[in-house]
Amino acid sequence: MYFGGIALFLFGIQVVTGTLLTLYYKPTPEAAYESVQFVTSDVSFGWLIRSMHHWAANLMILFVVLHLVRVFFQAAYKYPRELTWVIGGGLLLVTLGFGFTGYLLPWDQRAYWATVVGTDIAGSVPLIGDALLQLLRGGADVTGDTMSRFFGIHVLVLPLALAGLLALHLLLVHQLGLADPKKPEPRERTAEYEQEPLRPFFPNYLLDEIVAWYALLAMLVVLASLFPAGLEEQANPLETPAHIKPEWYYLAVYQLLKVIPRTIAVLAPIIGIAVLIVWPFLDRSPEVLARRRKVVVGGATLVLLVMIVLTVYGYVS
Amino acid sequence: MSADQPRSSHRRAPWVHRLGRTLAAVGLLGLVWLALAFSAVAEDPTASPGASGSPQPSTTPSRTPAASEFDWLFATPVPTPSAPLASAPPVPAPISHPPADGANGCYDCHSVVNDKQAVIAADWEASAHGQAGVSCADCHGGDPSSDQITVAMDPANGFVGAPDRLASVGLCGSCHANVDRMKASGLATDQYAKYWSSVHGQQLLTSDDNRVAVCTDCHGSHTVKKVSDPSSPVFTLNVPELCASCHADAARMEPYGIPTDQYDIYSKSVHGVALLENKDVRAPSCASCHGSHDAKPPTSATVVGVCGKCHTATEELYQQSRHSELQAAAPQCWTCHGTHDVTQPGSYMFFHPTTPDYTCDTCHDLQTHTLRLELSRFTNEADRRCDTCHHPDSQIYAQIEGINTAITSAEDAYSHAEDTISRAAALGMITSDAEVKLTEARTSLIQAQAAVHTTKLSSIAELSTEATTKAQEAEQIAEGKVDESVFRREAMIVVLAIIAFNAAFLYLVKRRLDKRLEHR
Repeated sequence: MYFGGIALFLFGIQVVTGTLLTLYYKPTPEAAYESVQFVTSDVSFGWLIRSMHHWAANLMILFVVLHLVRVFFQAAYKYPRELTWVIGGGLLLVTLGFGFTGYLLPWDQRAYWATVVGTDIAGSVPLIGDALLQLLRGGADVTGDTMSRFFGIHVLVLPLALAGLLALHLLLVHQLGLADPKKPEPRERTAEYEQEPLRPFFPNYLLDEIVAWYALLAMLVVLASLFPAGLEEQANPLETPAHIKPEWYYLAVYQLLKVIPRTIAVLAPIIGIAVLIVWPFLDRSPEVLARRRKVVVGGATLVLLVMIVLTVYGYVS
Repeated sequence: MSADQPRSSHRRAPWVHRLGRTLAAVGLLGLVWLALAFSAVAEDPTASPGASGSPQPSTTPSRTPAASEFDWLFATPVPTPSAPLASAPPVPAPISHPPADGANGCYDCHSVVNDKQAVIAADWEASAHGQAGVSCADCHGGDPSSDQITVAMDPANGFVGAPDRLASVGLCGSCHANVDRMKASGLATDQYAKYWSSVHGQQLLTSDDNRVAVCTDCHGSHTVKKVSDPSSPVFTLNVPELCASCHADAARMEPYGIPTDQYDIYSKSVHGVALLENKDVRAPSCASCHGSHDAKPPTSATVVGVCGKCHTATEELYQQSRHSELQAAAPQCWTCHGTHDVTQPGSYMFFHPTTPDYTCDTCHDLQTHTLRLELSRFTNEADRRCDTCHHPDSQIYAQIEGINTAITSAEDAYSHAEDTISRAAALGMITSDAEVKLTEARTSLIQAQAAVHTTKLSSIAELSTEATTKAQEAEQIAEGKVDESVFRREAMIVVLAIIAFNAAFLYLVKRRLDKRLEHR
């Protein structure tokens, strides 16, 4: 399973394409839309760079989540990799932050109104909701101030945070090695274990990753060519579109808000993510085999199914 | 004897009596003739000659502004809108009653006396009047300060009870025509005067026909709501149903011979669909064309102005046309577009699918050798075409063909551009630049279509050419996008092949390295 490596590769794509986009992008409400339009329509291969950035962002979130699910089900978060897991949780939050802040930047109708809905959700957090809303928007409404801070966060704060966390994550992976999905830690230092040949990271393991990255690159090229990143009408704060929906990765929370009381719907994902991050400290059993962790695996499967159902429901409703 | 002399002097010989009776008969006939002559002058030119007579229930649909539309009007004793109107009665004084002194004895009792009265009291309280402090006694008289029925409802204290329908108009007018009283609420004060000028008011005035609509029929009595209140029956979206509550009632309209299918026809028209289905309050309701308090059908003298209230630019274009100069024979808005059944206009309106039959008197008055317009020829929507009047051999017909060609070419060019843009958008291409050009083309096309009202081929052709050119430019941009998308897909296959080759090569290297590791 190469999910972690693929997520890393996609981050690399994001850094390269994001840097190229920044050369043309103008982060003001007056100029942002036209600059994105210019990049897409007039700059040589600008459409490709933007579409790659768009699709790599979506795929990055998908593969980070898949990586997390894989690590969870294989119990790779357990001793001695608790800290690797916690940092991974931080990486997930940063990745979601990238999606949230980057979505506004084209300043089209979809971007604007999805941000209005998204920040509204954040504003519903009990006690700190109003302050959080002000902090995110830079005022009462989504305006140029919101764009300025979203842009700053997107191109400076989050990349630095992600780079730092990623370095720590990789360092820990390197130091602790890969988890064995069949054997709990600490492993017994048997003669067989000691004699087991170590597979070198370079070139053997890296070649594995590169082949998988090529597959992802092919997927990105297909998606960018057949479904290039679009651009709706320029953002108009006075014209609310008929159907406002956030991006797919926030659809579950969005739909949850519709079916259960707002406060619970906002608190549930926050508590869920908090529990997820500290999970290695709650689940202290050394057992790694899924068939012997029926309650944990069953509960996680149920949560996952509920999220998928809510996402699909939110998409079709 | 002297007393007999005058008596004898008043005696008439039999021939004198006969002469007197003859003169009286001639005089009476003269008066009848004069009345008929005045009536003929006052008639609207759009009324059919056989329209006068006794009231006849309508058996034909009200699709045209011609005879069927106005038969009822001229068939009843109601004066025609162009005839001198009966004068409105003076505005009555408001009902006087002892001051309430902060009490509301009427409400206190009626809200608890029984369920029916409780509903009335609640309705009043929620009504615009209740909110504005117009009390029960302002309409019913009596003493609102008393909680004794014998005092509060004593005629000696001005109690008048429920006013009859005729009196209710004056009762409403006593406040609503009072400038000082209405100043605070900012309401118009001309409704009373307007009402008496309406067909409803005139019928009530001249025929004492109290079946016609009075204030309370539309506004309610205890439930009066502001016009801006969407739940009010007189709110724009509700007006057609309100009018239809009487005008679609065959039994109620039977004495007047008024068609009852207007609502059905209107609701299917572009106006009706916009108002009733799309809830577009800018679309016209019955009141927009007929008036509300001064309800009456538009006449041929006013119809262009009535339609022009909304279609301002089109009215200006029409005034530039040869049509507008034809006076009595002038085709007007309703000749081509109908009245209640206005449909989406288009180039289909130029010609019949097959040439209609023509006779000389189709367009010409054979006696006066002048042009004439027989509106009954436009009863059916399918007959509202240019060639209903214009003969294929005429010069004007050739001009219409030119107009048709210019407009349809522009429409075709626009439609092709639209399709190509849709195709490019479906391929995921950003088409905003092509859409901007298409919008410009649409503006020119609309101008060209509107210019048809000028009947001037040169200006229509110029605008159509402009629209066609812009549409072609838009299509060219969109074609470029489609080509670009095709290039991307072709390039994608090449890139995928390179990636596959690289991946396969690296996979083989990896396998060799793995085998080497196993052999170590």
